[in-house]
Amino acid sequence: MSKGRRKASNAAVFTASAAVNRAVSKFSGYNSRQEGRAQKLQSTMPRTTTLDTPGCPPLRALAFDSLGLIKVVECKGEEKGAAKMVEKWGQPDASSAVVAASILDREFNPLLAVARKNGSVDILTPVNGAIQASISNLSQTQDSPQDNAIVGLHLFKKPWSESSLRSYTFLTSTIKGCASIRSFELPESRAEIVSDVTQTTWSTSGSGETLFLKVDGSECYSLFGGKGVEVNVWDLLTSTKIWTAKSPAKNNLGIFTPTWFTSASFLSKDDHRKFVSGTHNHQVRLYDTSAQRRPVMSFDFRDTPIKAVSGDLDGQTIYVGNGSGDLASFDIRTGKLLGSFVGKCAGSIRSIVRHPELPVLASCGLDSYLRFWDINSRQLLSAVFLKQPLTDVVFDSYFGNKEVAPALDLQPQLECLSEISDGEEDMAPRKRKKTSKKHKESKKLKLSKTGMHGSGDVSEILDSSEENTLQDTRKKASKAHKRSDKLKSKRTKQ
Amino acid sequence: MGAKRKNSGDGDGSSNGDGKEVKKAKKKESMAESLLPSMIKNKEKRSEVHAKLKHQKKLEKRKKAKAREAAEKRALDLGEEPPPKSIPRTIENTREFDETICMPDDEELFAGNDADEFAPVLNQELTPKILITTCRFNSTRGPAFISDLLSVIPNSVYYKRGTYDLKKIVEYAKNKDFSFVIVVHTNRREPDALLMIGLPNGPTAHFKVSNLVLRKDIKNHGNPTSHNPELIMNNFTTRLGHRIGRLFQSLFPQDPNFRGRRVVTFHNQRDFIFFRHHRYIFETKESKQVSSKGKNAKTDKDEGSSEPKVIARLQECGPRFTLKLRSLQHGTFDSKGGEFEWVHKPEMDTSRRRFFL
Repeated sequence: MSKGRRKASNAAVFTASAAVNRAVSKFSGYNSRQEGRAQKLQSTMPRTTTLDTPGCPPLRALAFDSLGLIKVVECKGEEKGAAKMVEKWGQPDASSAVVAASILDREFNPLLAVARKNGSVDILTPVNGAIQASISNLSQTQDSPQDNAIVGLHLFKKPWSESSLRSYTFLTSTIKGCASIRSFELPESRAEIVSDVTQTTWSTSGSGETLFLKVDGSECYSLFGGKGVEVNVWDLLTSTKIWTAKSPAKNNLGIFTPTWFTSASFLSKDDHRKFVSGTHNHQVRLYDTSAQRRPVMSFDFRDTPIKAVSGDLDGQTIYVGNGSGDLASFDIRTGKLLGSFVGKCAGSIRSIVRHPELPVLASCGLDSYLRFWDINSRQLLSAVFLKQPLTDVVFDSYFGNKEVAPALDLQPQLECLSEISDGEEDMAPRKRKKTSKKHKESKKLKLSKTGMHGSGDVSEILDSSEENTLQDTRKKASKAHKRSDKLKSKRTKQ
Repeated sequence: MGAKRKNSGDGDGSSNGDGKEVKKAKKKESMAESLLPSMIKNKEKRSEVHAKLKHQKKLEKRKKAKAREAAEKRALDLGEEPPPKSIPRTIENTREFDETICMPDDEELFAGNDADEFAPVLNQELTPKILITTCRFNSTRGPAFISDLLSVIPNSVYYKRGTYDLKKIVEYAKNKDFSFVIVVHTNRREPDALLMIGLPNGPTAHFKVSNLVLRKDIKNHGNPTSHNPELIMNNFTTRLGHRIGRLFQSLFPQDPNFRGRRVVTFHNQRDFIFFRHHRYIFETKESKQVSSKGKNAKTDKDEGSSEPKVIARLQECGPRFTLKLRSLQHGTFDSKGGEFEWVHKPEMDTSRRRFFL
């Protein structure tokens, strides 16, 4: 009782002071004075605990959010460090929220396709975020983009037709099951709206809502599925349906669960027959199109809907994320839980992506954190707060390579470049520029440093004059390095 | 001058003494460290040692306080500035660092605010309309709480729950242009949870309710008028807190009627949200002032007659309760297939100094 009274008196005090303030000024939200004080305390307060995240290897990831922003997260340096947001592209606008993204992840001339809520697809350079082209969906369909939003997007790696090399192709699917393959040519001037789009359109489902679209490694087959839509496989070359799943039989109580697929993933790159899919009633199912139409295996995971499924490179492990922020890995051969990824993840997981080389997994979702996990230890490597609910994430895997690749390796690259440039003389090779060069330089410098010092102790003993000479030599080294860089650029121009 | 020297000499002496004592204490401590009382197996001996240690600690504390007081007094006497008061460490000011804390210069925050589900209400494009209902079985304190809530929240209607599914109710409310559905859940005849469902596609927040005191149980409570209340939101600092704050804000019309002098407060402290409802009044009290400060009345009288002092008085109207967020779900109520923006998980409770709102 006394406790209650004390509380009440406290309340009386703060409301009294605030009431006087408020009565004059118009109410507009939060008590800014209080907030300011809290922040002051924040800056001066002692930090009692430290976050024990070991940091991740050098990598670069792009996260897409519900305000249409693209955020670049990088982790630099040879040492393991915390990932940081380095760049932000676009203007915050709720109508251009990103719904799907696909990256052409290659060393030269990488491309990024981003589907937005208002029905347009933007093509960007994932190196600097320059918009190459913007294709609006509006002209093709009668429905407004609100009713028939894009749900899935895939940018093809291989050239679709025997046209010029500047032409690219992507596949989209809308919520009503309207799939379309479009080819477009990159215009000369940037940020131009492309009009000459050739496309083939077909309908993948009669009723229901399509919720996802996946394309296999060979880029010949694609998966569709959704709410009231059984998973179906289409041959993209002929655009015919080759396989449909059959819903599992009624259970022993005679209860039939309606179909509601939320996500799917092919198990491995070279096999289009096996895939896993997650359902709304928290079930993960393994399908084998060569065996049967019903799932080969199915198991439950927790009790909120599965929201994201992703396969590992080896085709044996899958990663499953659900609506309450649980992430776990399963051995798909046995259906056994290998372990869950624990790290105070509070919001629904929207996307899981496996890094193509490093043993790193990225997950993002409604709690607006982008998290990097170690695959083997299932430990949180780094978490970045990106301020908005995130919808998708992709890895830009050649970022790390650039840093490691020494200058000597340029020769084969040049050769392959010349091969490419046979068809496209007019196009200057859009290489990954500044950032990578800087990295190289810094790395060289570091190398030279360590070479000269031998060990850290020596540098402490060194007096000023010696340091001067050292600096000179460093300068010389960097000059030499620059020269070599120039040479390189000359060679590439040739 | 002489006094100063004396003082300083005293200070030195005392400090020397302190040094010796400290040394002694250190010796004892090292002894104690080697032999913790909890390691002694004989209970009598153990309690004896423990009591001794405790006594020592108490003495030390007292000595410290005394020294502090003396220093302060000395400073006062000498007209110097007193030593700075040390700020006590509380759980709030040693809160774990949180990167999600909203900054006033964050443009993304404002862009997000403009796009969120509460924007139409908060930009005064829409007046909120609230449907209040209960869980299936409802008795005694539940209805009383609801009648209190109805008087707090303007433009709210109570609907009998009947045997309808909550999803059906949400659908119905959507068609009737309600902006919020509040479900009061009672357990053992005691309201223990609140579910707030934003409409048409707003988030669903689930709160635990505790320490509920109804209006009729508050002594000297006031009766609220039907004016639109003013709102006070305190300490909603993180992104999640900001969102929850906006949710509470959008329950009320955004044009407070200042003549009504009603204030509704949501005060967040260590993730508990305290709800209070008050009436206030500004009063000018001259006579009381004079009488209370009768001794030096001459000067006060002149001042008092020239500018009368205005004070604010408060009267609580109730109800009074505490909320704790359990989950925030994306979209309208869907207990099985819901997608959560935030759920409380036991692994989050590893530190007392971590707060989410």
